[in-house]
Amino acid sequence: MIEYRDVHKRFDVPVLAGVNLDVHEGETLSLVGTSGTGKSVLLKTTIGLIVPDRGDVKIDGESIYSDRPGALQEIRSKVRYVFQYAALFDSLNVYENVVMGIPEERAKELGRDEVLSRIVRSLEDVNLDPDIVLTKLPAELSGGMRKRVGLARAIVGEPRIILYDEPVTGLDPVNTATVNRLIMSIAERTRVTSVVVTHDIEGALEMSDRVALLDHGKLKFVGTPEEFRQSDDPLVRAFADRQAAAEAALRLMEAENDKDDDAHGALA
Amino acid sequence: MSPLVKAPARLLRAFGRACLGFSRHVGGMAVLTARIAKATVSGQVSLRMIAQQAFEMGIASLPLVIVTGILSGIVTSQQGGYQFTSSIPLYVLGSVVTSSVVLELGPVMTSFVLIGRVGARITAELGTMAVSEQIDALYSLGRDPVPFLAAPRLLAGMLTTPILVGIANAVGVFAGLVSAQATVGLGTEAFLYGARLFWHSWDLFYSLMKAEVFGFIIPIVSIHMGLITHGGAEGVGRNTTTSVVFMIISVLVLDALFPPLFLN
Repeated sequence: MIEYRDVHKRFDVPVLAGVNLDVHEGETLSLVGTSGTGKSVLLKTTIGLIVPDRGDVKIDGESIYSDRPGALQEIRSKVRYVFQYAALFDSLNVYENVVMGIPEERAKELGRDEVLSRIVRSLEDVNLDPDIVLTKLPAELSGGMRKRVGLARAIVGEPRIILYDEPVTGLDPVNTATVNRLIMSIAERTRVTSVVVTHDIEGALEMSDRVALLDHGKLKFVGTPEEFRQSDDPLVRAFADRQAAAEAALRLMEAENDKDDDAHGALA
Repeated sequence: MSPLVKAPARLLRAFGRACLGFSRHVGGMAVLTARIAKATVSGQVSLRMIAQQAFEMGIASLPLVIVTGILSGIVTSQQGGYQFTSSIPLYVLGSVVTSSVVLELGPVMTSFVLIGRVGARITAELGTMAVSEQIDALYSLGRDPVPFLAAPRLLAGMLTTPILVGIANAVGVFAGLVSAQATVGLGTEAFLYGARLFWHSWDLFYSLMKAEVFGFIIPIVSIHMGLITHGGAEGVGRNTTTSVVFMIISVLVLDALFPPLFLN
C-alpha cells in the first residue's frame, strides 16, 4: 500500500499543495490532470527521486524518508518505475538493460541461467522476440519497442509496485492500445499495485480500479471509472467527455480573449 | 539609488553570485570525490568498467597525444635552435627541449587533448543521461551512479593520464632531437649531452605528479558537471561548455601552482 500524506512540493511555483492519497494493495490507480499539475512529481516522490518540502510518503507503513539505514534502498527494491521515454541505458544492450531490473543480490541467488530465462520471459510478456532484441542497443529499437523494453525491465524483478510515468505518451494508437493492454495484463497476472500517470483518459478508465484527478497540485477527484464518468464536476466532465473538454477549452479561450480586450481597453 | 552606487553594487552582487556558484561546484566535487573513494575502497567498482574506460581514455587518445607530443618537441627545438644560434652553445638545446617537454609541454598539452577528447565527452554523455532520466532510472533500480558511472571514469583517468604523459614526454624529446639534427645540425650525442647536463630525476617525477593531478581534475570536473545537468539539450550544451572552460582554467591554475610548490 502507498500512502501520500499532505505532500507539498514547490519549485519556482507550488507544484504539489497538500496531496493525501492511499493506493491499495493490488489496485491500479490512474492519475490524470492537465500538463504541469504535478502528476509526475507526485510519482517521483514515491521512490525519493524528488523529496517533498513537507509531508510524507509511506510504502507498507514505512516512510521512504525514514532514518533507518538502508530503508530507501529496501523500498526501492519493491518498486519499479517506468519512465516516460523508457530511460534505457544507451550504452547497454537490451539484455543488460533488462537485467538491471533484478536487484543485484537476487540475481546472484538466482544464477546466470535463471536470470536469462526470466529476462526472456519478461520480454515475451511484453510481446518482444528475445531472439531479435536481446543483443540490440536502445538506439536500434523503435519508440514503442523501447517502451516495451522499459516495461520488461520493470516486471523482470517481480516488484510489488509499478509506477508508470506517461507510458503511452508519443505512441501511435496501435502502440498505445498495446501498452495499455500490457499494463492491464501485468496487473491481472501479478496482482502488482500500479500507479499510472497518463493523458490517455480512455485507457485510464479502461484499465484502472480507481482514477484520481490532480489539479493545481491538489486532488480534485478520486473514485472508480464509473464515478468519474458520472461526475458533475466541470473539470472531471472536461476530462471524461470530449465534447465537454472542447467546450471547456472554448470557455478558457474566450476568457483569455476577454482579459486581453480589457487590457487593451485600459491601455487605450 | 544613483547610477554611481548602482554599478558597483551590481558588480559586487555578480561577484558574490560567482563566488557562491564556484563554492557550490567545489563542494559538489569534494562530496563526489569522497563518495568515489568510499565506493572504491568498499570494492563496489567493477574492474571491467575501469578497463573499458581506460581503453576509451588511454588507447583511443594515444594517436592524438603522440601527434601533440611530436609537435611540441619539434616547435621547442626549432624555437630554441633559432634563439641559441651563435650566442649559447647549441648542446644546451638538448636540455631546453627535454626540460620544456617533460616539465611543461608534455603534461599540459596532453591534458588539453584529454579535456577536448575525454572531458567534454564525459560531460556530454553523463549530461545526456541526466536529462533523459537515465540517472533517475539508476536510482530507481536501486543502483548508485557513483560506483557505476563516476568511479570507473575517475579511476581510469588517474590510471591512464600519467602513462599518456610519459609517452608524450618520450616522443616529444625524441622529436626534438630529430628536429635539432635536421634544422640546426645538432648531433644526437651533443643533444643527449646537453639533456643529461641539466637533468634531475625529480623532473620526471614532477611531470608524472602533474599528470596524476590533471588526471584527477579532468574527470572529476567533467563527471560533476555531467551529473548536475538539467534543462534538455540546451542544458547539455551549456554544461559541456562550462565544463571545458572549468577544466582548462583548473589545469592552468594548478600548472602555475606546481613550480613554487615543487621546483623551488
